[in-house]
Amino acid sequence: MTPVHDLPPVIAAHDLTKTYTFHQQRAGLGGAMKGLVRRKYETRLAVDRISFSINRGEVVGLLGPNGAGKTTTLKMLSGLLYTTSGDLQVLDHTPSDRKHDYLRRIALVMGQKTMLWWDVPAMESLLLHKDMYGLSTAEFDRNVAELAELLEVEHLLNVQVRKTSLGERMKLELMAALVHGPEILFLDEPTIGLDVVAKARVRSFLADVNRLRGTTILITSHDMDDIEALCSRVMIIDHGRLQFDGGLDDLVRTAQPRKLVRATYATPVEADRLTGLEGVSAVEVTGPTVKLEADRERAGSVMEQLTRLGPLVDLDVADADIEDIMRDLFLRRSTLGDAS
Amino acid sequence: MNAFVRNLRVVRRMTAADIAQQSVYRGAWIIFMLANICMPIISLLIWRTALASGAQLPVDERYVTTYFVLLGFVTMATSSWMAGFLAQDIRMGKLSSWMIRPASLLAGFVANNLSEKFLKLFALVPMIGVVWWIFRDSMNIPAGPGRWALFAVSIVLGAMLVFTIDILIASLAFWMDDVSALVQARVIIASVLSGAVVPLALMPEWSRGFVDHQPFRYTVSFPVEIVAGQLTGSELLAGLGFQLGYVVVFAAIARLVWAAGIRAYSAVGA
Repeated sequence: MTPVHDLPPVIAAHDLTKTYTFHQQRAGLGGAMKGLVRRKYETRLAVDRISFSINRGEVVGLLGPNGAGKTTTLKMLSGLLYTTSGDLQVLDHTPSDRKHDYLRRIALVMGQKTMLWWDVPAMESLLLHKDMYGLSTAEFDRNVAELAELLEVEHLLNVQVRKTSLGERMKLELMAALVHGPEILFLDEPTIGLDVVAKARVRSFLADVNRLRGTTILITSHDMDDIEALCSRVMIIDHGRLQFDGGLDDLVRTAQPRKLVRATYATPVEADRLTGLEGVSAVEVTGPTVKLEADRERAGSVMEQLTRLGPLVDLDVADADIEDIMRDLFLRRSTLGDAS
Repeated sequence: MNAFVRNLRVVRRMTAADIAQQSVYRGAWIIFMLANICMPIISLLIWRTALASGAQLPVDERYVTTYFVLLGFVTMATSSWMAGFLAQDIRMGKLSSWMIRPASLLAGFVANNLSEKFLKLFALVPMIGVVWWIFRDSMNIPAGPGRWALFAVSIVLGAMLVFTIDILIASLAFWMDDVSALVQARVIIASVLSGAVVPLALMPEWSRGFVDHQPFRYTVSFPVEIVAGQLTGSELLAGLGFQLGYVVVFAAIARLVWAAGIRAYSAVGA
């Protein structure tokens, strides 16, 4: 069997660019009148020469603040949008050609848009997909049974979609998207608006789909728990540019090269005793608890020094929370962007 | 499975689902159809009164009666309500969820139109049946099945013509923020030029050349004329030729504009 990394990538993008043209209209009647006579058109660069490739079976998180260009990227990859320039090949197809052979091998789930008919049971939509994707009855029945069991939605298949909860609807959306067994699944905010239980269910289902079927998954989400639970690799897009492409661990190391340390002692600690510690910053002492940030390379030595400060009750060493890292990263870039 | 058969199955499935979804609103259908048949009946009564009062018209009472009795049915059968919905789908980015699936986008539109016709037929046919029975003695009823067959063909072509005009207008939503004014303008122009308000036979003599050859005649008036009027064989053939020609021309233009529009589609929203 050929190792996955020796196979050609299923997605290959080179200098992918997308611009939008739109007209500006000022608020109010005056603005509307001016707009009637003379319109000012502007071009916005949504995606700016990004290049990347994704291998079969990878689960990749596409991250970025609102308006960064990640959904536009997803739309180009799924064939909804034409690229303005650059090369894009997905499963050896140019997505915007929207060839049957391409569309039957992918699926796109948009958290805020539905694929399901609202007034009839989800089974009607699934049967439509059976016809659209040319599935045999045996194949369809097998897939429906497997997906319904994984998602625990057997009892919902014959209920009008509009009578299901948001979490149940998302599970049914995922089922409709996967019933034909796509090789690539594009997900745009799949857990938006869901409660914690539903989010966990969706995440574990997606992990199962990737593991059992080898489905390549590209996901955008603002929920870092989604990303941590599913993605071995993340791509950060901001201002249309690809700012980072690598493992989640690499991102943490690059963006936050310090470990967060929290030591709790049996008795209160005097702050003066911490002044001599090397490779630490953001030291905070509250009674018997010491919080600080330690250089990754010196973490071992810092731990050793901390044990000498007194009888330890608890010692906790962790990487910065990915949510905090992303917030700092986006804030930093936004400030830089504003400054420039 | 070839693409045609697959799309045919998709249309069948979508039509059935559309009917299931829309039959929820059965009361609305009956009201729609009452409105659809009211105007022809009122017009019929007005024109019959005018004739009875000695008005000199280029057509007789039998023509006027047959025309207006059939008008409600033909208007319904060849109409399309798609332009507004489609334009909104384009503007709001709702087209996206269909574009990522491997079926012709046309399938959804066709299914929507077919389901609409199916449901309207249920509401409209009994109403027309009653009107027909009331005026049965003063109508032109063709003897053989030939005219009825041509009538059916002409209705299908008329429906296709309206459908392609609708796609053409809705496609402009790829570039324009709002096409509702255009949709409304088309409705007003078509209601006059199709013969839905006044039979085209009653239009002034000086407008004959234009009225007889403009496309809207072939969406309503021409199918009705096949039954109600005394079109000669050559007029019939020429009319069907024009109708088919308009379908091909509008379909070609709609296809070009649609293809260009898809390139400009911005898939608004997440």
